[in-house]
Amino acid sequence: MNAAAIRAEHISKRFRIPLDRASTLKYRVTHPRSSARYRDLYALRDVSFVVPHGQFLGIIGHNGSGKSTLLKVLARIYRPEGGSLSIDGFVSPFLELGVGFNPELTARENVFLNGAILGLTRAEMSRRIDDVIAFAELQDFTEQKLKNFSSGMQVRLAFSVAIQADAGILLMDEVLAVGDASFQEKCFDVFSRYKREGRTIVLVTHDLAAVSNYCDRVLLLDHGQLVADGPAADVAAEYRRMVGARSEKEYQEHHEEQPAGEARSRWGSREVEITEVRLVDAAGQAHHTFASGQAMTVEIDYVAHQQVDDFVCGVLFERSDGLVLAGSNTRIDRITLTCPPAGGGGTIRYTIDRVRFLSAEYLLTVALHDRYDNRSYDHWERVMSFRVMDESGRVGLVETGGRWSTSSTGALGEQAPARVAEGR
Amino acid sequence: MTVTARPAVGSGAVIGTTALRRHLNLVRELAITQFKLKYTGSVLGYLWSLFKPMMLFGITYAIFVYLFNVGRTSPHFALQLLVAIVLFTFFQEATATAMSSVAGTGHLIRKAHFPRSILVLASSLSAFITFLINMTLIIVVGSAIGQMDLGLRSLLTPLFIVELYALVLGFSLGLSALFVFYRDLGHIWEIVTQLLLYGSAVVYPYSLLTHGHRLLGQIAGLNPVAQIIEDVRHALVAGNLPYPPGVNYGSGPAVPWMASILGAATYLVPLSLVAAIVALGVTIFRRLEPRFAENL
Repeated sequence: MNAAAIRAEHISKRFRIPLDRASTLKYRVTHPRSSARYRDLYALRDVSFVVPHGQFLGIIGHNGSGKSTLLKVLARIYRPEGGSLSIDGFVSPFLELGVGFNPELTARENVFLNGAILGLTRAEMSRRIDDVIAFAELQDFTEQKLKNFSSGMQVRLAFSVAIQADAGILLMDEVLAVGDASFQEKCFDVFSRYKREGRTIVLVTHDLAAVSNYCDRVLLLDHGQLVADGPAADVAAEYRRMVGARSEKEYQEHHEEQPAGEARSRWGSREVEITEVRLVDAAGQAHHTFASGQAMTVEIDYVAHQQVDDFVCGVLFERSDGLVLAGSNTRIDRITLTCPPAGGGGTIRYTIDRVRFLSAEYLLTVALHDRYDNRSYDHWERVMSFRVMDESGRVGLVETGGRWSTSSTGALGEQAPARVAEGR
Repeated sequence: MTVTARPAVGSGAVIGTTALRRHLNLVRELAITQFKLKYTGSVLGYLWSLFKPMMLFGITYAIFVYLFNVGRTSPHFALQLLVAIVLFTFFQEATATAMSSVAGTGHLIRKAHFPRSILVLASSLSAFITFLINMTLIIVVGSAIGQMDLGLRSLLTPLFIVELYALVLGFSLGLSALFVFYRDLGHIWEIVTQLLLYGSAVVYPYSLLTHGHRLLGQIAGLNPVAQIIEDVRHALVAGNLPYPPGVNYGSGPAVPWMASILGAATYLVPLSLVAAIVALGVTIFRRLEPRFAENL
């Protein structure tokens, strides 16, 4: 096939956001001229690209960049205001899994209904229903109502139906966001099969790893405009750069009053904000100097301006010259933090029973971020410095905690082990 | 802007499955689903759709026959009332349900592509199934107790039912599209159907509306709802009632009862109104359809 599967030229999509609520007749009657009062929001601006048959295309971008809008334009759910779109092939009518599922219907009934939306007749679906149910591993639940299914079962069923689509062009919006690891594996098996069959796939996702692994080509959207178009690895890297610059800018916009010096060493979106960081001893007394071997606790006070789904707290210790000595976070140490509701706050403590650093000046960095460190809520680089004193005369950076022992062989071959020193 | 799409050659089972066939299949699946869902979860299930018109029938029969003393003169009044109520209940429930069929399916409209009119068609068809079952029950029971008075005119009944369905569909298309943008329509339509209920001689004999004036009878008959109901009444329940004096259709083919009341030329008015409502409904729907997804 020579023709392109999708040819989009100068696509623009505008949403009119009404400034007043005009959705009741009373409003229309009492404000006859109100139709002029709206704000134009361009979700897509002059987007052009050509997708050849058989290509696996990824579309990435931050929330609100227009990627889902673009997918809806391709699916002909939205009609663009400008540009032209030509599609060669049968487009799968679904964007998401389980669209049109009804909790009151049984698995079997839902499969037929979903199949009908996909364009499969009752006869065609009857031939495939056993495969669909088997693939979803739901043989014992065919006559159960969907509302009694776990979300995992629902997703399996939805996916199992969706792949029955005999479409040459598949559009998928965040299908990977649902389901567990084994489900995602199944997804990719099917994607690979589609690729072999030469179908065209357009996948909108946040999952950069998936994009890099599977997509032949990736489009990056920002504020409705196509900012990058190329091989997956390059575009993913460009996206990461953009996200970094963006969170920096976000922080600076919100904290312009702060001294520039601090702004460089502190960033984040501040849904959760660090209010104070202290180093305290076993008695709870704040210090800036600790003796090697003494207990030390990092106390981090925070407030939640907004309840976030997941947050992780990390600490990092550096020597004053920047050499990183140690660091960990609550995710690595398998501690789950729960964010209090907006306005709430608390204290997180990281206790070291025995400080093993030796005499030097040290710097402490603390950070609150999401599970995968994609988004910093509040990252405070080198929030404070402290000194550790060690009078033992050991050299280097850390006290290893090692123990000495000896064994010697006497003339008669007797072993005489003797503990000489205990490294304390 | 232009959007073109042509089905690829050789894309699996799509071959031989025309778009129309796929869409009709979806209409059927949705209609059956809605019909099923309406009656699952309630103890009496389908019986409710029979009880409701029966209750209305019982109340109105008691009021008009015992309180206002009308209808007693006609031996057909009871069954005529029942037929009219079943017809009108279909009109009322089908339009009310179909009105929210688009707005209530936002999740589907935002995520999947298919002709949106399928939703309206499925919703009205689901109500139509209920109506046909009720109608059959009435004819069977009416015949069994010897109350049906079927004449040559009864053969016209399917045509009137087609006309009623067209009217329902026309209103449903227009209302469902407008309802996406103006939610007030729900309340307004309730009032309109109440007006139609009392203005179309549903719950009382047509003669009560006209007071014997020929002109009044003709004006009231321009309303297609009144025309359909009166026509079906005289086709099914009083099928052998002679045409009013002054009308001479001879012994030719069956003529709609209302044609004899209105006159052949005037009879085209309610028929044209139905056609106009269908055309208007389709136009409104087509015009607004592209904007559904972003307004839901």
